[in-house]
Amino acid sequence: MGAPVQSLASQTPNKAEHSIINEKRHRRHLLGNRLSRYYFFFSILALCLVLGLVIVFIGKTALLLFGDVSPAEFFLSFNWTPEEEVFGAAAFIVNTLILTALTLLIAVPVSVGMAVLCAEIAPKWMKSFIRPVLDLLVGIPSIVYGYLGLTVLLPFLRRISGEGLGDGVLAAALVLALMVLPTICRISDDAIVAVPRKFRDAAYALGSTRLQVIMRVVLPAAKRGIISAVILGMTRAVGETMAVVMVIGNTPQLAKSLFTPSSVLTSNIVMQISNVEFESTWNYALHMMAFLLLLISFVLILIIRVLGRKRGDA
Amino acid sequence: MKLFKKFTVTALTAVIAVTATFAGIASAADTLKGKITINGSTALLPLTLQAAKEFQKMHPKVKIAASGKGSVTGPQAVKKGIADIGACDWDASIDVPGFKAFDGQVANKVAVIPFATIVNKNVGVDNLTTEQLAGIFSGKITNWKEVGGSDANIVVITRSFGSGTRVNYQAKALGGGDIVKKEKNYKETGSSGDMKTAVATTPNAIGYIDLVYVTGSDIKAVKHNGIAATTDNVINGSYKIWAYGYYMTKGQPTGATKEFIEYVQSKKFQNGSLKKLKFIPIAAMKG
Repeated sequence: MGAPVQSLASQTPNKAEHSIINEKRHRRHLLGNRLSRYYFFFSILALCLVLGLVIVFIGKTALLLFGDVSPAEFFLSFNWTPEEEVFGAAAFIVNTLILTALTLLIAVPVSVGMAVLCAEIAPKWMKSFIRPVLDLLVGIPSIVYGYLGLTVLLPFLRRISGEGLGDGVLAAALVLALMVLPTICRISDDAIVAVPRKFRDAAYALGSTRLQVIMRVVLPAAKRGIISAVILGMTRAVGETMAVVMVIGNTPQLAKSLFTPSSVLTSNIVMQISNVEFESTWNYALHMMAFLLLLISFVLILIIRVLGRKRGDA
Repeated sequence: MKLFKKFTVTALTAVIAVTATFAGIASAADTLKGKITINGSTALLPLTLQAAKEFQKMHPKVKIAASGKGSVTGPQAVKKGIADIGACDWDASIDVPGFKAFDGQVANKVAVIPFATIVNKNVGVDNLTTEQLAGIFSGKITNWKEVGGSDANIVVITRSFGSGTRVNYQAKALGGGDIVKKEKNYKETGSSGDMKTAVATTPNAIGYIDLVYVTGSDIKAVKHNGIAATTDNVINGSYKIWAYGYYMTKGQPTGATKEFIEYVQSKKFQNGSLKKLKFIPIAAMKG
């Protein structure tokens, strides 16, 4: 920066005048630099502040719960009857786990298969078609998926199962699977593409078939990336609300079968939060459920970070 | 560039002048000013918004902010001092099932809200008694043939606990009976719109909703104890499933809030806009 300015100044006859102008410009640049640095710092600080406030306020309200209800009742009782002051959230917690597991069970094999197709098998024109389509799917608002679930999936499930209603964890898992599928697929795709070419060449040279290369070499090599993709899909499945509310039946009870109308943490919060009094045990219990969701997603993100770091070392 | 600047200045001046003129005209005729915040029931929100629009035309210096959430948030917001008026589907100054009275609040009746029992269009039954409804919603009656329909399981769709519609329906249609959750053929919905969609798309479903929502061919309202759910039958006293909608205030209303509630209760609004929104004027009810 300094060198060209100097040479420019020396070429002109009126040195003193020019050096003053340059000095001014230099100062202005310094000031701009400093200000922009402050701005960037301020931006990230503001974000951290908001995040901190969210945790503090949700956590503070949530912890008030244990003044009225014992942690044992909240975490272990399956009876959620707020009108009789019984706040057992075990059913929601277990249902959330069941729903997430079921979603991944449906979505992971399909999306990893699609990722393999995209990265290894498909010709170029097909890749350049599938990838943008998947990106589009990620962007569809969840309420749209939920509405399709309500108007298309539920009547279909009713017909094949003979159930009267069709709402339940299966319907919710199918909708969620469709939602997390593109996420898992695109990230796995990237992980598989990142596997070095020489691994494949070596395997082929040893006489492997394409299936053997994919199953024994490429997928194991891309394992960490695929696991990260699955966990990212999991965070979406755990936190998804609107699509789930529309097809799960919203009844606070354990999902004993695939078609039992039930409720998960997110759907119960959104169903009841507008009907509760601010300073009530019920409100605190809902905040505790929100706090649980926060904790779950923090843990999942932490796992992704740890996995990512290990991959970086290798 | 200069021309553009000139134009902008002219436009701005014109706007300011016009605003000033209008403000001048209005304030000359009207001295009422203040800010009214209204919170609470979504069922009453269309009525509140319409009334606010008309009231602000008469009194431009009064600012009205209205929003809707759940019924109970109305009296709660009033209690906390967040809102001046809390719209609520029940009289929150007395105890109702599930919710304690809000002490020191005054309930101002503003409208009559009729409710209807609705079934999917495939259901053959067109009349249900209080006992039959109580049996269906408590889970004792599970098949349509037990109440004169075809042999099919009854699918119960209900609003979640705390809904104003549910409070009123339990009290008026089920004779105070309980709504009991079941492991099968039972679903809770979060709003009147969801309720309508769920009953319309689920064969053999039964639910309940504000009468204004009963439109289209996918759902139909059933008679209650032989009486059809119509506004006429509500007014002549034969149809019992209805409730007053209330504006809750902290103590007796004063100032702009008082004027606004009086406007909503006035004959002009009750027989005009309120009727157009398919609510029933409070004066139409005898006793």
